[in-house]
Amino acid sequence: MELLCCEVDPIRRAVRDRNLLQDDRVLQNLLTIEERYLPQCSYFKCVQKDIQPYMRRMVATWMLEVCEEQKCEEEVFPLAMNYLDRFLAGVPTPKSHLQLLGAVCMFLASKLKETSPLTAEKLCIYTDNSIKPQELLEWELVVLGKLKWNLAAVTPHDFIEHILRKLPQQREKLSLIRKHAQTFIALCATDFKFAMYPPSMIATGSVGAAICGLQQDEEVSSLTCDALTELLAKITNTDVDCLKACQEQIEAVLLNSLQQYRQDQRDGSKSEDELDQASTPTDVRDIDL
Amino acid sequence: MRWHSKAQPGSVVSSFRGDQGLPCVSAAGTMSEQAGDVRPNPSSSKARRCLFGPVDSEQLRRDCDALMAGCIKEARERWNFDFVTETPLEGDFAWERVWGLGLPKICLPKGPLGGGRRPGTSPALLQGTAEEDHVDLSLSCTLMPHSGERPEESPGGPGDSEGRKRRQTSMTDFYHSKRRLIFSKRKP
Repeated sequence: MELLCCEVDPIRRAVRDRNLLQDDRVLQNLLTIEERYLPQCSYFKCVQKDIQPYMRRMVATWMLEVCEEQKCEEEVFPLAMNYLDRFLAGVPTPKSHLQLLGAVCMFLASKLKETSPLTAEKLCIYTDNSIKPQELLEWELVVLGKLKWNLAAVTPHDFIEHILRKLPQQREKLSLIRKHAQTFIALCATDFKFAMYPPSMIATGSVGAAICGLQQDEEVSSLTCDALTELLAKITNTDVDCLKACQEQIEAVLLNSLQQYRQDQRDGSKSEDELDQASTPTDVRDIDL
Repeated sequence: MRWHSKAQPGSVVSSFRGDQGLPCVSAAGTMSEQAGDVRPNPSSSKARRCLFGPVDSEQLRRDCDALMAGCIKEARERWNFDFVTETPLEGDFAWERVWGLGLPKICLPKGPLGGGRRPGTSPALLQGTAEEDHVDLSLSCTLMPHSGERPEESPGGPGDSEGRKRRQTSMTDFYHSKRRLIFSKRKP
């Protein structure tokens, strides 16, 4: 007797809708509305007294680790960071509430984007039970109220497919470009200097950085990096110089993050725990610059 | 008791659950572990850590109540409707009670927490609501035509309700002609 074993991905995903992705009106609408979902100010200067930029990085790194470990959809982490930034741009918050806030934002983003979302209990365990599920649910309402229930924010991920389909790239390379671009987007979300950038610019810069990074391995590139930047800028109506600056910043953050990671690896005195807290998304660790 | 607002159709904020002054989009958490959860168990994870020291539950409670009260006040001014006592107030919207418009039972508050109500609402915010009211009492509201102010709310971050140029359209925006204007038929 033969046994048949079928392993199916237990997570249900909608297929990519070509009617949406191949219609320029969708891209134009995304470009039109994206700025509405940006945080309203650089809140470290004008709103927050207790919270410092390094604390945002700490909570962001933790959120990214949780999202990676829980195999969340790629959009969940940047979306959660968008909620966090928008909340902090309006509400002075003590640092003791920051991790709770991060958990609430992941909770909401996961519910919006995933078919079987993160549970409150699980998120509380990740805070080492420093918060209770009840508190998480209470603050969920507070965050919803302060965000005016506008959760369907535009994220850089919304632009990736629109950009990719307009590039003269071979099909077989697309999935790698997509994967690297997604990783760069996550990296940008951990760094506050990208928090006020329009998502389309982060997406365009990430795709540019991904392609340029991958082309270095090859002898013949189909497009020079400058020509590529110009093409990308046209696709999302971004200013070429802004885009170049953004892409350079992404590459700098990546390099910094990689050096940090390698330094930690070389540094034998660091425990494994500390290594895993390095702010490098695991996918980028394989990238060679 | 259910209040239905026709004035801003199609937006996220389109239907209010009377007991909290907040929209009816379910905020209920997935509290119990689902069967067949494929995600890893966080108990022994390295990501499990407390970042900024112990959390003061009392302070959380106080801040939560203060912020919720702010949200409810904002909603009261925005919709000229007191969501605590469920009373229409003077303003741009004319509220009218609608009978027999019960929503599906699935929309009614229920769940493992709070005995049929969402947690997080202090008792003071819940007064004056009776469970059975949710079934078939409703209110509808209509924007009074004399108002010069646009009713749309910006979807941006907190504190940005003014000065935005654009807003997202929704399908129901194209149904203007079907709107019924009600002038002063208010019932308590």
